[in-house]
Amino acid sequence: MSDREGPSNRVGRLLGAVVASLRTAGERWYATPVLTVGAFALLAVLPQALDVRVFGVGLGSILSLQALILALLWATAAQSWNLVSGFAGQFSLGHAAFFGLGAYTPLVLAREFGVSPWLGMLAGSAVAVAYACCLGGLTFRYDIRGSYFVLVTLAFAELLLYLFVNVDAVGGASGVVKPLPDAYGTAFGLVAFQFRERLPYYYVVLAFLAVVTLVALLVQRSQTGLYLRAIRDDEDAARAVGIPTVRYKLFALALSAFFTAWAGAFWAMYFPSIRPRVVFGVLVNIDIVLPAAIGGIGTVAGPIVGAFTLEIVSELGRQAVDFPELQDIVGGVVLLLVVLKSPGGLVSLPGKVAALVDRVTGETRSVWDRDPSRTEDD
Amino acid sequence: MLGVLLGAIYAIVSVGLTIIFGVMDVVNIAHSAFVALGMYTVWMVAQRGLSPFLGVPVAGVLLFVLGVAIQRSAIAPLVEERQSSRLLVTIAFSIVIVAAIEATFGPTPRNLDLDLGSIELGGVYVIRSQLYALVVAAVTFAAVWVFLHRTHTGRAIRGTADNRTSAAYAGIDVERIDAITFGLGAGLAGLAGALVTFVQPFDPYLGNTYLTIAFVVVVLGGLGSIPGTVVGGLVVGLLHVFGSYFLPGTYYKVLILVVFVALLVFRPTGLFGGSVDE
Repeated sequence: MSDREGPSNRVGRLLGAVVASLRTAGERWYATPVLTVGAFALLAVLPQALDVRVFGVGLGSILSLQALILALLWATAAQSWNLVSGFAGQFSLGHAAFFGLGAYTPLVLAREFGVSPWLGMLAGSAVAVAYACCLGGLTFRYDIRGSYFVLVTLAFAELLLYLFVNVDAVGGASGVVKPLPDAYGTAFGLVAFQFRERLPYYYVVLAFLAVVTLVALLVQRSQTGLYLRAIRDDEDAARAVGIPTVRYKLFALALSAFFTAWAGAFWAMYFPSIRPRVVFGVLVNIDIVLPAAIGGIGTVAGPIVGAFTLEIVSELGRQAVDFPELQDIVGGVVLLLVVLKSPGGLVSLPGKVAALVDRVTGETRSVWDRDPSRTEDD
Repeated sequence: MLGVLLGAIYAIVSVGLTIIFGVMDVVNIAHSAFVALGMYTVWMVAQRGLSPFLGVPVAGVLLFVLGVAIQRSAIAPLVEERQSSRLLVTIAFSIVIVAAIEATFGPTPRNLDLDLGSIELGGVYVIRSQLYALVVAAVTFAAVWVFLHRTHTGRAIRGTADNRTSAAYAGIDVERIDAITFGLGAGLAGLAGALVTFVQPFDPYLGNTYLTIAFVVVVLGGLGSIPGTVVGGLVVGLLHVFGSYFLPGTYYKVLILVVFVALLVFRPTGLFGGSVDE
């Protein structure tokens, strides 16, 4: 890195000034709203930017619209997961249950009863919340935490997987094919939740992500968010000071399930068909956790940053070597690197860079000095 | 017979899982990948024209080495971190290993096509290869039990599982114990995977099924209890066989998981939890 060249270095001082001004800007009250709106505005124009070419090189050669849509989809699911697993610290490895219920409900309702997928999506959310309450009621009531909670959530997701594989009324192992819009009395378009092109899907899932992100921000800044953080850091202490921990954990889980079901509904309406293995499988659990874990668990920006990082790295990798398992391998390797080299996730990197610059410029800000990885550089 | 063998295999997977959990407080998601690696080790050995039974110890040793390597390189640096970061590391390894197997061998199911015939045992015909697999499983259990109870290292492992800090004060090198435990757990998973090949066709994702069932077994027996795990494994193995006989399709898996949930409600500490001194 260039910013290690010594205290007298001019580049170092310049960087220091830039970081300092960025940091004061970052501390202002309007920083988060401005950043969030800016980021989403950027995402809104991103599909148009795919076609722009400068000197024959364009974003479109790295990223496809399909990849962007999937990145947004997993970002939405990861953001929802983060509500209970990041904010409240209850690590779930069973969000595929909510995702799958969210995918199946609108499709089955639309196919069998001609219900609009939008209503179906809300119904799916309701089903997912009900399931979350069963799960949370059993686990939280018996004070199942940590590793045990991981086990139970996974088992609940697998239970649904095997149930849906065996119930022929919902298609069994071969799943459900998405009905055409006339099956529920509409034509292609927003009302039908089905489009002939990819671009409208992009904006639908972007809107989903925006809603979940807004909810996450609101929760984070509310008293509920404060209680959830207290539960994450020390549940016994939180209970001791009078926080009804079971109720708050249940709330976080239900909220998380509600929005995870949206991601599932989008999946169902985007792809031509769904199968139990694809929406309830173990890999879905992992796909939901990955973006948050890579970007930064417990942060609002983390799931979005993580999802896009993953998608960009796998797209770049795919251009070098192309085989179908590449995406999984990339995901695993990136996750491993992040956990080992930057435990706070990618979003903690700017803080670390700032600390490095501080050291180069001779400034000391004790807040940044806590990172243990820094001592290795000395 | 098949129920007992399946139960034994489930129990071997679960014992590996439970000792890793006991010592390091991590739910080893990569266990499914270790099981899958064990299956394909046997496959490779059989492809070379050698007896598939030779693949069983090979799988055990290979996975032990891999387990130690993974523990040393990726889990040891995170011992002081939150439990979730160790969990994430095992998830990462699980994805990479399964994807690598799929890339190498393809996703299609394989079958050993091993036919050694059957023998009559007390009026019941028993498939010979499954009988041998059961013997291997029984020997494995005896070996693990002797190792954990009668050797210095084994006692050190149990001591570390009981209380890490006290173990360190008593002069136990806990980092070495961590490595050995993870290696042992991985080795047992590999061995179990190797035995699976004598029972059913296998594909790169079959390990996931065994992992889920191992979770049930572990909770059934009480986390950290080895006798409990053996009994839990046998119970689930029998549930599997009788369930698939009396219920249509793969409903037996639903049955196993329903038992798991019911257990959580009525006896969250497991059938043996709290009562078995381990």
